Order: sequence, then C-alpha cells, then structure tokens
Amino acid sequence: MQRMATDGSENWESQVRKGWLELAILASLWSEKLYGLDILRRLEAGSDLVVAEGTIYPILNRLKRDGLIDSKWVESEGGHPRKYYWLTAAGRRRTLSMARHASLFLGRIQELLAPLLSEEE
Amino acid sequence: MLTPNTPHSDRLQTRIDAYLMRLRRSLGELPPEEVADILQEIRGHILERAEAAGEMTDERLVAILQALGRPEDIAPLYQAEALMARARTSYSPTLLLRGALRWAMLSVRGFAIFLAGLVGYGIALGFLVGGFGKIVAPRQIGAWWTPGSFSIGTTTNPAAHDVLGWWLVPVGLAVGAIGLVATTWLLRWALGFAKLRRAIPARVT
Repeated sequence: MQRMATDGSENWESQVRKGWLELAILASLWSEKLYGLDILRRLEAGSDLVVAEGTIYPILNRLKRDGLIDSKWVESEGGHPRKYYWLTAAGRRRTLSMARHASLFLGRIQELLAPLLSEEE
Repeated sequence: MLTPNTPHSDRLQTRIDAYLMRLRRSLGELPPEEVADILQEIRGHILERAEAAGEMTDERLVAILQALGRPEDIAPLYQAEALMARARTSYSPTLLLRGALRWAMLSVRGFAIFLAGLVGYGIALGFLVGGFGKIVAPRQIGAWWTPGSFSIGTTTNPAAHDVLGWWLVPVGLAVGAIGLVATTWLLRWALGFAKLRRAIPARVT
C-alpha cells in the first residue's frame, strides 16, 4: 500500500494514457486511411498519449482482429511498403459510441475538477 | 539517409536487423506469416523514421529504437491476444489448454477453467487408454472395482473385480471420445469470456 503512494501517480498516468489510446487511434482513422507512422504523427501532434511508439502496432493488430479496422499493404516511393488501415462499418459505429461516452465522461470529470483547480490558482 | 554508400550504413543496418531479430525471437509462438507481417511493418517504421531524420547517426538510430520500445515489451502485446483468438476457434487440446493457462495467470475464473480442462482431458485420456489397453493386454487391463474405489488400468489387489470385462473396449473408447469432445467444447465456450486486458480505471466503454 505504501508503494502505491510513492510511485502510484506515474502508474496512474500511464493507465489513463493506455485507456484513451485505443479511442485516439480509432478517431485518427475517422476521415482517412492512414499507416502506422501517420497515426503516430497525428497522435503526437494532438496529445502525448503514446509512451512507447511500438505499442500502437499490437493495438492495431487487435482492432483488426476484432473487425473494427481493416488493412492493406501499399507500395510507397520510399521503397518499403506501408500498411494502411481504415475503419470498417462496425468500427465507425464503435468509434462514434466511444466518442460520445468519452465526451460525456470528460465533461463530468471537468465539472468535478473545476472548483478544485480554481481554488489552487 | 540509409544509403548503401554511407560509411555507417552497414553498422546501422546490422543494428536494425538485431532489433528485428530480438522481436522475431520474442514473437515465437505466433504463426510465421503473421510474424513476417509484423516485422515488415516495424522495419518500415524504423526506415521511415530514419529517412525523416536526415543524416543518420548511431545516436539517431538509438533514439528511434528507444522511442519504439523494447522488443521484449512489445511482443507479448501481440501474443496474449493472438493466442487467445486462435485458441477460441481451435479444436486442438494443447492450444486450448495454453489459452486457458494464459487466462489462469490473470484470474481465478481462468484458473478454474484451466483446471476443469486438465481434469476433463485427463479422464477422457484415461478411458481411451483403458479401452485400447484392454485390446492389447486383456488380462492386465480392466475396470477394477474394490469396495470404495474404482480404477481403470492395472491392479495388484487380488480382491479387485473387473466389472466391465470386454465391455471396457467400447465403453472406454466411447466415454473417452465423448470426454474429449465435451472438454474441447467447454474450453472453447469458456475462453469466449476471457478478458486478458486488466481493468483500466479510466476505460470509457
């Protein structure tokens, strides 16, 4: 229990990141087909969700297995092929429902935190 | 750029290959075509990051690989889900038991299922071996009954009574086969409920 108090905060942050990463990946694919590094660049620009870049590839692998996204290898000018991903119909439905929940949830948390944060200022 | 003419490129290439080799080794239990696919994707990631970095140096490559993470940390993320996904649709007792074992390490329910699978296959195997054994060695193998205990196989107890006689052959083979099928279906059904990811506090689903 003592251990949780000392290094617990770092662990909590990484758990929160992990929880949001899946939705962030799905959301990045909402309007276009992207390959892994594209998705990473987009996530880097919009958030600091990704800790180890390599973790997004197993997540993409699982989302594909779950039928939420599909993929295809495409040759690039660079010489090495890129694996492009896009949302399936089921993936679009799931992403939208996750986004609705997330937005509602964030609003409530923000309400809850507002008094505490304004007091600190 | 990782062009073949730069003096460092060989060493850098070796370093990338070494990283991918570590990943390949850690991905051991996945099907080969899936491993090839994963390695190609990660290699593409490294090469493209390298190209974007301009002049490639040891330090830059190290930074790219560090940002990617340790192969030993990434590989299990593929495996846990993949093993379970294959096990769920498999008829192979070893694959089903391996899936259950993976689950058993995470939850009590998983452990109970693993144990049930082990006992189920064990009993089925016992009946099958008894059924076949009766054909091979009819005098030694039997379904022995002594007051208070029952066993299939050989016995040293002179008071034991062979209750089935030759019936052990059809009964053993039938019960064994039914046991195999029933345990397989039980495991397939139960693994459908397995949740491998640990609960995350902020999970919004």
